[in-house]
Amino acid sequence: MFMKTFEEKWTAWLDGKLSGKELEEFEASLPDKAAAEAEKGEAKKLGALLKEQLATHVLTNEEFFSHQLRERIAAVEAAEPAAGDTPATTTRWWTIPRLFWAGATSLAIFILCAFMVMREKRPSEQSQYLTQVLNARVDPAVSPGATISIFETKEEKVTVLWTEGLQSLPAEYAAK
Amino acid sequence: MKGSIFAAVFVLTISATQTWAAETIWSGLVIADNVAQPAPVPTELKPIDHKLKQLFGYDQFQIIGQSTKTLTSGQEDWLAWSKYFTLQVNARGQSGAGYVLDLKLWKQRELLLETQAKLSTRSPLVIKGPQVGSGQLLLVLLVR
Repeated sequence: MFMKTFEEKWTAWLDGKLSGKELEEFEASLPDKAAAEAEKGEAKKLGALLKEQLATHVLTNEEFFSHQLRERIAAVEAAEPAAGDTPATTTRWWTIPRLFWAGATSLAIFILCAFMVMREKRPSEQSQYLTQVLNARVDPAVSPGATISIFETKEEKVTVLWTEGLQSLPAEYAAK
Repeated sequence: MKGSIFAAVFVLTISATQTWAAETIWSGLVIADNVAQPAPVPTELKPIDHKLKQLFGYDQFQIIGQSTKTLTSGQEDWLAWSKYFTLQVNARGQSGAGYVLDLKLWKQRELLLETQAKLSTRSPLVIKGPQVGSGQLLLVLLVR
Protein backbone atom coordinates (compact mmCIF):
# COMPACT_ATOMS: atom_id res chain seq x y z
CA MET A 1 0.00 0.00 0.00
CA PHE A 2 1.53 3.31 -1.11
CA MET A 3 1.35 6.48 0.94
CA LYS A 4 -0.76 9.12 -0.75
CA THR A 5 0.88 12.48 -1.29
CA PHE A 6 -0.74 15.70 -0.08
CA GLU A 7 -1.79 16.58 -3.62
CA GLU A 8 -3.51 13.21 -4.05
CA LYS A 9 -5.30 13.59 -0.77
CA TRP A 10 -6.22 17.20 -1.63
CA THR A 11 -7.72 16.14 -4.95
CA ALA A 12 -9.59 13.29 -3.29
CA TRP A 13 -10.85 15.68 -0.59
CA LEU A 14 -12.05 18.15 -3.25
CA ASP A 15 -13.88 15.35 -4.99
CA GLY A 16 -15.40 14.19 -1.68
CA LYS A 17 -13.66 10.86 -1.94
CA LEU A 18 -12.05 10.90 1.55
CA SER A 19 -13.90 9.40 4.46
CA GLY A 20 -13.49 8.13 7.99
CA LYS A 21 -10.17 8.38 9.65
CA GLU A 22 -8.42 9.48 6.51
CA LEU A 23 -10.79 12.43 6.19
CA GLU A 24 -10.31 13.44 9.82
CA GLU A 25 -6.52 13.22 9.57
CA PHE A 26 -6.43 15.27 6.34
CA GLU A 27 -8.73 17.99 7.63
CA ALA A 28 -6.72 18.13 10.83
CA SER A 29 -3.58 18.64 8.72
CA LEU A 30 -4.99 21.62 6.88
CA PRO A 31 -3.49 24.85 8.21
CA ASP A 32 -6.59 26.92 7.33
CA LYS A 33 -9.66 24.79 7.04
CA ALA A 34 -11.99 27.70 6.22
CA ALA A 35 -9.86 28.75 3.24
CA ALA A 36 -9.67 25.15 2.10
CA GLU A 37 -13.45 24.79 2.29
CA ALA A 38 -13.84 27.96 0.24
CA GLU A 39 -11.44 26.64 -2.33
CA LYS A 40 -13.34 23.35 -2.40
CA GLY A 41 -16.54 25.23 -3.09
CA GLU A 42 -14.93 27.14 -5.98
CA ALA A 43 -13.57 23.93 -7.42
CA LYS A 44 -17.02 22.35 -7.35
CA LYS A 45 -18.54 25.37 -9.09
CA LEU A 46 -15.84 25.23 -11.76
CA GLY A 47 -16.36 21.54 -12.28
CA ALA A 48 -20.09 21.97 -12.65
CA LEU A 49 -19.58 24.77 -15.15
CA LEU A 50 -17.15 22.73 -17.22
CA LYS A 51 -19.50 19.76 -17.24
CA GLU A 52 -22.28 21.97 -18.45
CA GLN A 53 -20.24 23.71 -21.19
CA LEU A 54 -18.15 20.81 -22.44
CA ALA A 55 -20.82 18.18 -22.41
CA THR A 56 -21.30 16.57 -25.89
CA HIS A 57 -24.35 17.93 -27.58
CA VAL A 58 -26.38 15.09 -28.99
CA LEU A 59 -27.90 16.02 -32.37
CA THR A 60 -31.45 15.21 -33.20
CA ASN A 61 -32.26 13.57 -36.57
CA GLU A 62 -33.42 16.86 -38.12
CA GLU A 63 -30.33 18.71 -36.97
CA PHE A 64 -28.08 15.95 -38.27
CA PHE A 65 -29.74 15.95 -41.71
CA SER A 66 -29.59 19.75 -41.93
CA HIS A 67 -25.95 19.72 -40.92
CA GLN A 68 -25.07 17.10 -43.55
CA LEU A 69 -26.88 19.09 -46.22
CA ARG A 70 -25.06 22.32 -45.37
CA GLU A 71 -21.73 20.54 -45.46
CA ARG A 72 -22.51 18.97 -48.85
CA ILE A 73 -23.50 22.34 -50.32
CA ALA A 74 -20.40 23.97 -48.94
CA ALA A 75 -18.23 21.22 -50.41
CA VAL A 76 -19.85 21.50 -53.85
CA GLU A 77 -19.50 25.28 -53.90
CA ALA A 78 -15.88 25.07 -52.88
CA ALA A 79 -15.11 22.41 -55.51
CA GLU A 80 -16.86 24.07 -58.48
CA PRO A 81 -16.87 27.82 -58.14
CA ALA A 82 -16.60 28.44 -61.95
CA ALA A 83 -19.38 26.03 -62.78
CA GLY A 84 -21.57 27.81 -60.37
CA ASP A 85 -20.96 31.11 -62.14
CA THR A 86 -21.57 29.91 -65.72
CA PRO A 87 -25.38 29.64 -65.77
CA ALA A 88 -25.74 33.09 -64.32
CA THR A 89 -23.37 34.54 -66.94
CA THR A 90 -25.11 32.69 -69.80
CA THR A 91 -28.47 33.88 -68.67
CA ARG A 92 -27.24 37.44 -68.55
CA TRP A 93 -25.48 37.30 -71.99
CA TRP A 94 -28.11 35.55 -74.20
CA THR A 95 -30.87 37.99 -73.81
CA ILE A 96 -33.53 38.21 -76.54
CA PRO A 97 -32.21 41.46 -78.11
CA ARG A 98 -28.69 40.08 -78.18
CA LEU A 99 -29.90 36.86 -79.77
CA PHE A 100 -31.71 38.92 -82.39
CA TRP A 101 -28.68 41.04 -83.20
CA ALA A 102 -26.37 38.01 -83.26
CA GLY A 103 -28.69 36.28 -85.72
CA ALA A 104 -29.04 39.35 -87.92
CA THR A 105 -25.28 39.92 -87.97
CA SER A 106 -24.59 36.27 -88.86
CA LEU A 107 -27.12 36.41 -91.68
CA ALA A 108 -25.62 39.62 -93.06
CA ILE A 109 -22.11 38.13 -92.99
CA PHE A 110 -23.35 34.98 -94.73
CA ILE A 111 -25.06 36.97 -97.50
CA LEU A 112 -21.98 39.13 -97.99
CA CYS A 113 -19.69 36.11 -98.24
CA ALA A 114 -22.07 34.29 -100.61
CA PHE A 115 -22.29 37.36 -102.83
CA MET A 116 -18.51 37.76 -102.98
CA VAL A 117 -17.92 34.06 -103.68
CA MET A 118 -20.53 34.01 -106.45
CA ARG A 119 -19.16 37.18 -107.98
CA GLU A 120 -15.64 35.73 -108.02
CA LYS A 121 -16.78 32.36 -109.32
CA ARG A 122 -18.80 33.60 -112.28
CA PRO A 123 -15.90 34.87 -114.42
CA SER A 124 -13.85 31.74 -113.84
CA GLU A 125 -16.73 29.53 -114.97
CA GLN A 126 -17.17 31.76 -117.99
CA SER A 127 -13.50 31.66 -118.88
CA GLN A 128 -13.30 27.93 -118.47
CA TYR A 129 -16.30 26.79 -120.48
CA LEU A 130 -17.49 29.66 -122.66
CA THR A 131 -15.89 31.58 -125.45
CA GLN A 132 -15.32 35.19 -124.46
CA VAL A 133 -15.35 38.20 -126.75
CA LEU A 134 -12.63 40.41 -125.32
CA ASN A 135 -13.33 43.42 -127.52
CA ALA A 136 -15.04 44.30 -130.78
CA ARG A 137 -15.48 47.32 -132.98
CA VAL A 138 -16.89 48.32 -136.35
CA ASP A 139 -15.57 51.09 -138.54
CA PRO A 140 -17.95 54.04 -138.05
CA ALA A 141 -16.95 55.43 -141.42
CA VAL A 142 -18.08 52.27 -143.19
CA SER A 143 -21.08 51.48 -140.98
CA PRO A 144 -22.24 54.61 -139.15
CA GLY A 145 -24.62 53.87 -136.30
CA ALA A 146 -23.71 50.18 -136.11
CA THR A 147 -23.92 48.61 -132.67
CA ILE A 148 -22.44 45.51 -131.10
CA SER A 149 -23.76 43.28 -128.35
CA ILE A 150 -22.48 40.03 -126.90
CA PHE A 151 -24.31 37.18 -125.24
CA GLU A 152 -23.93 33.50 -124.47
CA THR A 153 -26.43 30.68 -124.67
CA LYS A 154 -25.82 28.53 -121.63
CA GLU A 155 -27.31 25.29 -122.92
CA GLU A 156 -25.28 24.94 -126.11
CA LYS A 157 -22.46 27.11 -124.74
CA VAL A 158 -22.51 29.26 -127.88
CA THR A 159 -21.14 32.78 -127.67
CA VAL A 160 -22.72 35.27 -130.07
CA LEU A 161 -21.36 38.60 -131.24
CA TRP A 162 -24.44 40.38 -132.50
CA THR A 163 -24.05 43.37 -134.80
CA GLU A 164 -26.83 45.69 -135.86
CA GLY A 165 -26.73 48.40 -138.47
CA LEU A 166 -23.93 47.06 -140.65
CA GLN A 167 -24.21 48.15 -144.26
CA SER A 168 -26.63 45.89 -146.16
CA LEU A 169 -25.31 44.26 -149.30
CA PRO A 170 -26.98 42.92 -152.41
CA ALA A 171 -27.64 39.19 -152.82
CA GLU A 172 -24.71 38.71 -155.19
CA TYR A 173 -22.38 39.05 -152.18
CA ALA A 174 -23.54 35.62 -151.07
CA ALA A 175 -21.51 34.04 -153.85
CA LYS A 176 -18.92 31.42 -152.98
CA MET B 1 12.19 -0.16 -112.28
CA LYS B 2 12.65 3.60 -111.81
CA GLY B 3 13.78 3.86 -115.43
CA SER B 4 10.58 2.16 -116.64
CA ILE B 5 8.38 4.54 -114.64
CA PHE B 6 10.29 7.54 -115.95
CA ALA B 7 9.91 6.27 -119.52
CA ALA B 8 6.18 5.70 -119.07
CA VAL B 9 5.69 9.21 -117.67
CA PHE B 10 7.73 10.64 -120.53
CA VAL B 11 5.67 8.80 -123.15
CA LEU B 12 2.41 9.87 -121.52
CA THR B 13 3.58 13.48 -121.41
CA ILE B 14 4.54 13.43 -125.07
CA SER B 15 1.21 11.81 -125.96
CA ALA B 16 -0.69 14.45 -124.03
CA THR B 17 1.25 17.21 -125.79
CA GLN B 18 0.54 15.64 -129.17
CA THR B 19 -3.15 15.34 -128.30
CA TRP B 20 -3.28 19.06 -127.50
CA ALA B 21 -1.38 19.89 -130.67
CA ALA B 22 -3.88 17.92 -132.74
CA GLU B 23 -6.71 20.39 -132.05
CA THR B 24 -8.13 22.16 -135.07
CA ILE B 25 -10.24 25.27 -135.48
CA TRP B 26 -12.91 25.34 -138.11
CA SER B 27 -13.77 28.82 -139.44
CA GLY B 28 -16.67 29.38 -141.79
CA LEU B 29 -18.49 32.09 -143.69
CA VAL B 30 -22.14 31.12 -143.73
CA ILE B 31 -25.12 32.61 -145.51
CA ALA B 32 -28.35 32.05 -143.61
CA ASP B 33 -31.71 32.61 -145.25
CA ASN B 34 -35.25 31.32 -145.51
CA VAL B 35 -36.22 29.32 -148.60
CA ALA B 36 -39.09 27.06 -149.56
CA GLN B 37 -36.86 24.00 -149.89
CA PRO B 38 -33.98 24.34 -147.40
CA ALA B 39 -30.82 22.47 -148.22
CA PRO B 40 -29.53 20.03 -145.60
CA VAL B 41 -27.43 21.58 -142.89
CA PRO B 42 -23.70 21.18 -143.68
CA THR B 43 -21.88 18.62 -141.55
CA GLU B 44 -19.64 21.28 -140.08
CA LEU B 45 -22.65 23.11 -138.63
CA LYS B 46 -24.50 20.06 -137.32
CA PRO B 47 -23.38 20.58 -133.71
CA ILE B 48 -25.03 24.01 -133.56
CA ASP B 49 -27.66 24.02 -136.33
CA HIS B 50 -30.55 23.95 -133.85
CA LYS B 51 -29.13 26.94 -132.02
CA LEU B 52 -28.46 28.84 -135.27
CA LYS B 53 -32.07 28.38 -136.36
CA GLN B 54 -33.34 29.43 -132.95
CA LEU B 55 -31.10 32.50 -132.70
CA PHE B 56 -31.38 33.89 -136.22
CA GLY B 57 -34.72 32.54 -137.41
CA TYR B 58 -33.43 31.12 -140.71
CA ASP B 59 -33.98 27.61 -142.01
CA GLN B 60 -31.09 27.26 -144.44
CA PHE B 61 -27.38 27.64 -143.82
CA GLN B 62 -24.89 27.48 -146.65
CA ILE B 63 -21.14 27.65 -146.32
CA ILE B 64 -19.63 30.11 -148.80
CA GLY B 65 -16.10 29.95 -147.43
CA GLN B 66 -14.26 27.93 -144.82
CA SER B 67 -10.91 26.93 -143.40
CA THR B 68 -9.74 24.17 -141.10
CA LYS B 69 -6.52 24.96 -139.27
CA THR B 70 -4.59 22.55 -137.11
CA LEU B 71 -2.90 24.37 -134.29
CA THR B 72 0.57 23.38 -133.15
CA SER B 73 2.03 26.48 -131.57
CA GLY B 74 -1.23 28.39 -131.10
CA GLN B 75 0.31 31.31 -132.99
CA GLU B 76 -0.92 30.45 -136.48
CA ASP B 77 -2.61 32.83 -138.93
CA TRP B 78 -5.12 31.83 -141.59
CA LEU B 79 -7.90 33.03 -143.85
CA ALA B 80 -11.37 31.82 -144.76
CA TRP B 81 -12.75 33.56 -147.80
CA SER B 82 -15.55 33.73 -150.32
CA LYS B 83 -15.83 35.77 -153.46
CA TYR B 84 -16.45 39.05 -151.63
CA PHE B 85 -15.72 38.37 -147.96
CA THR B 86 -12.60 37.36 -146.09
CA LEU B 87 -12.26 36.30 -142.49
CA GLN B 88 -8.74 36.89 -141.26
CA VAL B 89 -7.70 35.00 -138.13
CA ASN B 90 -4.52 35.61 -136.14
CA ALA B 91 -4.05 33.24 -133.21
CA ARG B 92 -2.35 34.83 -130.19
CA GLY B 93 -1.64 31.66 -128.24
CA GLN B 94 -3.39 29.35 -125.88
CA SER B 95 -5.07 30.72 -122.78
CA GLY B 96 -6.65 28.38 -120.27
CA ALA B 97 -9.03 26.08 -122.09
CA GLY B 98 -9.01 28.03 -125.36
CA TYR B 99 -7.18 30.22 -127.84
CA VAL B 100 -6.95 33.98 -128.09
CA LEU B 101 -7.81 35.01 -131.62
CA ASP B 102 -7.77 38.33 -133.46
CA LEU B 103 -10.54 38.33 -136.06
CA LYS B 104 -11.16 40.69 -138.94
CA LEU B 105 -14.00 40.59 -141.45
CA TRP B 106 -13.19 42.16 -144.77
CA LYS B 107 -15.51 42.99 -147.62
CA GLN B 108 -13.00 42.96 -150.41
CA ARG B 109 -10.56 45.64 -149.11
CA GLU B 110 -12.97 47.21 -146.66
CA LEU B 111 -12.72 46.29 -142.97
CA LEU B 112 -16.24 45.73 -141.67
CA LEU B 113 -15.61 44.29 -138.22
CA GLU B 114 -12.70 43.72 -135.89
CA THR B 115 -12.75 41.72 -132.68
CA GLN B 116 -10.62 39.75 -130.26
CA ALA B 117 -12.01 36.62 -128.66
CA LYS B 118 -10.89 33.79 -126.45
CA LEU B 119 -12.27 30.75 -128.24
CA SER B 120 -13.00 27.93 -125.82
CA THR B 121 -12.52 24.34 -126.90
CA ARG B 122 -16.06 23.60 -125.72
CA SER B 123 -17.86 26.73 -126.91
CA PRO B 124 -18.35 27.90 -130.53
CA LEU B 125 -18.33 31.55 -131.52
CA VAL B 126 -20.94 32.95 -133.92
CA ILE B 127 -20.72 36.46 -135.32
CA LYS B 128 -23.66 38.12 -137.01
CA GLY B 129 -22.37 39.99 -140.03
CA PRO B 130 -24.08 42.25 -142.54
CA GLN B 131 -27.35 41.48 -144.25
CA VAL B 132 -26.80 40.03 -147.71
CA GLY B 133 -29.84 40.11 -149.95
CA SER B 134 -32.66 38.48 -148.01
CA GLY B 135 -30.23 36.54 -145.89
CA GLN B 136 -27.53 37.12 -143.32
CA LEU B 137 -23.80 36.57 -143.28
CA LEU B 138 -22.65 34.61 -140.24
CA LEU B 139 -19.12 33.84 -139.15
CA VAL B 140 -18.70 30.62 -137.23
CA LEU B 141 -15.61 29.41 -135.37
CA LEU B 142 -15.37 26.22 -133.37
CA VAL B 143 -12.65 23.99 -131.97
CA ARG B 144 -12.77 20.35 -133.00
